[in-house]
Amino acid sequence: MSSLASQSSSAAAPAKRPTGEILFALVFVSVGVAGLATAGSIPIPPSETGIGPRAFPYIVCGLLVLCGAGVVLQVLRGKVGQAEDSEDLDVTAKTDWVALAKLVGFVVLHIFLIEPAGWPVAAAVLFSGAAWSLDAKPLWKAIAVSVILALVLQYVFGGLLGVSLPPGPLLEGVPFFHG
Amino acid sequence: MLLLEGFSTALQPVYLLYALGGVFVGTAVGVLPGIGPAMTVALLMPITYALDPAAALIVFAGIYYGGMYGGSTTSILLNTPGESSSIVTALEGNKMAKAGRGAAALATAAIGSFIAGTIATVLLTFLAPVVADFAVGLGPVDYVALMVVAFLTVGALLGASVLRGLASLALGLFIGLIGIDDSTAQQRFTFDNPTLVDGVDMVLVAVGLFALGEALYVASKLRHGPVELIPVSKGKNAWLSKEDWKRSWKPWLRGTFIGFPIGTVPAGGADVSTFLSYAAERKLAKGANKAQFGKGAIEGVAGPEAANNAAAAGVLVPLLTLGIPTTATAAMMLTAFQRYQIQPGPLLFENQGALVWTLIASLYVGNLMLLVLNLPLVGLWVKILQIPRPYLYAGILVFAALGAFSVNFSPSDVGILLVVGILGYFMRRYGYPVAPMVVAMILGPMFEVQLRRSLQLSQNDPMALFSSPFALVVYVSMALIFVASWWLRRRQATLEAAPAKEEVSV
Repeated sequence: MSSLASQSSSAAAPAKRPTGEILFALVFVSVGVAGLATAGSIPIPPSETGIGPRAFPYIVCGLLVLCGAGVVLQVLRGKVGQAEDSEDLDVTAKTDWVALAKLVGFVVLHIFLIEPAGWPVAAAVLFSGAAWSLDAKPLWKAIAVSVILALVLQYVFGGLLGVSLPPGPLLEGVPFFHG
Repeated sequence: MLLLEGFSTALQPVYLLYALGGVFVGTAVGVLPGIGPAMTVALLMPITYALDPAAALIVFAGIYYGGMYGGSTTSILLNTPGESSSIVTALEGNKMAKAGRGAAALATAAIGSFIAGTIATVLLTFLAPVVADFAVGLGPVDYVALMVVAFLTVGALLGASVLRGLASLALGLFIGLIGIDDSTAQQRFTFDNPTLVDGVDMVLVAVGLFALGEALYVASKLRHGPVELIPVSKGKNAWLSKEDWKRSWKPWLRGTFIGFPIGTVPAGGADVSTFLSYAAERKLAKGANKAQFGKGAIEGVAGPEAANNAAAAGVLVPLLTLGIPTTATAAMMLTAFQRYQIQPGPLLFENQGALVWTLIASLYVGNLMLLVLNLPLVGLWVKILQIPRPYLYAGILVFAALGAFSVNFSPSDVGILLVVGILGYFMRRYGYPVAPMVVAMILGPMFEVQLRRSLQLSQNDPMALFSSPFALVVYVSMALIFVASWWLRRRQATLEAAPAKEEVSV
């Protein structure tokens, strides 16, 4: 990140309490603490003459705790992180938690659809769901694009490139969707 | 010569076709806004799963260079800041495009990239075998020193916040620890979960952080409405004039020789080199040309673009000869190599000579193809830039899920992808760089092996880590790099403040 980008984002970001940022830094601390607590139970083979399998985990987890705690301190003293910039980003917009929840939900749905319904169906659901979550209009067009995309990907990856994506019960009988 | 053998493989019609495909897909994906070179390689990993190693490497060489090319097109034509390695290009390129000189900006970027890429590949050709010969004599202590430098530059030097960079680094190291310890075969942090015994796959983490994390992050604050593009003017005046050529060729060459050395040492890769080149051009420009800086000076596009591509080739030197990735994109390349049981390092040129030279030969081929493809296809890239954003990000999600699923054909891997993606979202939101995590995850296990080996040889005396002259040189240079970067950062701050002030007064 260059300071150019940070200037524009810090100018636009409204001041608010950084509770979320502190919680996220505490995730690093707690992973480190959990690691420190469990690293002692890694078995050391009797033949070991060096520093063994525990030393490096201790260092890494210690580093996690230190850095996480350091970030918490910085944030408390008012030095918050600079959110990343991106081309399609409206830095002045409020976080759209509903769209995020929808996207995560569609990925979860995709995961549970792959095996029973086949990859193309799961991919089409993910694409049209994600496009809908992001306000694609009209919806029928998004669905049409998703079906075409899913079939093309299934054909290219499953058929041509030999990546064994499960075609699912609907397309089981179509030979060119198999590797 | 071995390179000729490499060419004889790379120039076979089938492989030329693969190279063309890689270059084309790499550019097309690289043009997409929000997709940097690292994400391009991560997202396109599945296309090569079924190819033979030579074909896969050729495709990756194309994707690697193509992704770099694509980024510059985006930053010149799109009205918003782009990925970090081409942000300097955007400073002048964007202004040129607004002044109706978009085609000239694209042309000087493309030709400069080609010249720099070609010279840098030649340098790579001659330098890599020499470095590899030298690296055969390096011991574990030396590797520890090199990797410490790589960790600290990627983690602490490059981001806006040192602590957040190191936190991201530590998290990557931690994820790298999960699984079976290489030296003692003991399980660590697996919590008796059978899916964790093999460790967390690098592809899942990389695609999750780069693709899913980015898509979620952009979706949370998506800019609605039509895409603002600067139209590329056509006609005789739009193309490079004699004057433009005269002003471009020196920056191209200077950029090359700034970019390549910076790429080869773990000192920040493309970002640092583009900025240095920009600063140099600004300083060297005279008279009316100097006044154009900040308003669309062609030198400010030509130099940084050349530096960017030369650095990309330079990064391949430590990657191929030492097995040490110094950027996130290089870490992705290493992951791709490892899938084919190719372990980059000093012995790579001996054990897999044919393959490496094919890779290097295809870098030359890919570079030439990019030059030929890039300019005539500008119209196509513009179309790609105009893809409605809901479709674009929905497509990225589908591709990320495809990449994750095809690692082991297990839906639970897509679940891991989602968890990493959510982590990547919060890292972006709170200003943690993701690149250190990716580099740490792949370097961490190698680092631990070398660290334990060096301590074992010295009966656990930590001072042994400073016992080799080479390691000492490395540590001293690291100290120098940190001092230099501190100085550069202050310069960068003043330089970037200057054009902003000018704008206010106009």
